[in-house]
Amino acid sequence: MAHRYLFEQMVRRELRQKYKGSALGIVWYIVNPLVLMGAYYLMFGVIFKATSEPDYPLFLLVGLVVWVFFSQAVLGAAPSLLEQGALVRKARFPRETIPAAVVTVQLITFLVLLGLLAPVTLAIRGTLDPALLMLPVILVCLFAFVLGLALLVSVLHAYFRDVAPILAAALLPWFFLSPIFFDPGRITERKAAVFALEWVNPVAPFIVAVRDVLYGGAVPEAPVLAYVLVAAGLSLLGGHALFHRMQAELAVVV
Amino acid sequence: MSRSVGFETNVRPGEIVLEQASRSFVVHADRGRTLKEMLIGRARTGGPPPVEALKDISLQIEPGETVGMVGRNGAGKSSALRVLAGILPLHSGRVAVGGQIVTQLELGAGFGRDFSGRENIYLNGALHGLSKAQIESRMEAIIEFSELGDFVEAPVATYSTGMFLRLGFAIAAHLDADVLLIDEVLAVGDEAFQRKCEARMAQQISAGATLVLVSHDAALIERTCERIAVLDGGEKVFDGPVHEGMPFYHRLMGTEDPVPSP
Repeated sequence: MAHRYLFEQMVRRELRQKYKGSALGIVWYIVNPLVLMGAYYLMFGVIFKATSEPDYPLFLLVGLVVWVFFSQAVLGAAPSLLEQGALVRKARFPRETIPAAVVTVQLITFLVLLGLLAPVTLAIRGTLDPALLMLPVILVCLFAFVLGLALLVSVLHAYFRDVAPILAAALLPWFFLSPIFFDPGRITERKAAVFALEWVNPVAPFIVAVRDVLYGGAVPEAPVLAYVLVAAGLSLLGGHALFHRMQAELAVVV
Repeated sequence: MSRSVGFETNVRPGEIVLEQASRSFVVHADRGRTLKEMLIGRARTGGPPPVEALKDISLQIEPGETVGMVGRNGAGKSSALRVLAGILPLHSGRVAVGGQIVTQLELGAGFGRDFSGRENIYLNGALHGLSKAQIESRMEAIIEFSELGDFVEAPVATYSTGMFLRLGFAIAAHLDADVLLIDEVLAVGDEAFQRKCEARMAQQISAGATLVLVSHDAALIERTCERIAVLDGGEKVFDGPVHEGMPFYHRLMGTEDPVPSP
């Protein structure tokens, strides 16, 4: 790939540009999610002592890190083509590099957080199990899924400037409807509601899959795995296809 | 969006082909559309009609040729260059450019403000498809050409316009260009640096690079280019040797030397 080094450069720029000049620098990428996780742990593990699930803080945190990766990646990707508009107008290179760099930076953050959280979860929950072998597969699918969405929102936002604000607004209710704080089957008897919570939300199966492996020590059920694989494929293919179709005029609109 | 024509690269390195190339721009005061407007179906009305930046232009340039492009402001020169650079798609016609394209279209474009000159050299090299090793092997030469000295370690935000040119041109001068596209930026440099740039361009040309140079500096065009294309209102009105083309251009602009009175 001729522009492989460009991708590395873009990842590096993305890592440094946001926090260049600040004292902590790139450490902020980790600090923010850690603070968030600490706050939720304090809320639900200490103050309110939620007990709907055993080791509730871990139940919550595993889902939370997956969500943070997804939401931060798409939120960062949406305005990315505009932010790097100067590069887009300057030379001919695969524009996908730009949102892909954003997603990659968030992936690095996610893996660092997971590297901190997973051993703790496995130890406390006693879930060190061959099911862990599924984790890389699930994570690859998660990356593909998020990348496809990032490509989609980035190219759409370049042409329709309200995509990013709409996305930001939508992510808040989306967050609370995702099975991060709860297991859908255990909060309601209504089958339709459970079905909606588990399957209509495309992020839900990813959260469930990662949590099944790390927190539950079990291989995710076949439907969940199938959904994860299909969603990843569709998102990546669809996002890439749309990006390819719409990217011709980018040098004019950014 | 489906009107866009693809950018072809399957011609000889250094060869440039434009066939009946057309491109227009829609001019809105406030460019960003919103989803809401699209869904409601209310189009933005009013504003000037679309500008036809390029009207049916055809141009065939062989590898190694030196072509100047002149015309009034708004004649379509910059649009033509951006089409050749592959960053502006055509609405109809055909464009094909072969080999490594190196551009100097905007001063300081694509430089990350908080990053140093050196870091921007890495980025710009990468933008042109170079690997880290390739960039590093040229780093010293680039810094030396730019004459920026210690400033190359300083953030680019502290640079003057002249320094942007120095950095940008130094980088462009050390890429293995098959096609050089340069747009009106040289005037910013001081005389000594301009001469250095011309010398370097001459070197690249004698190594086989094709040059397309847009400038308002008639003397520069005459020194550097063998052929000249005159654009007016998006159309090509002259294409031929520079010593015939420049008088034509001056007549067009109304700036020809007055006939000395007897």
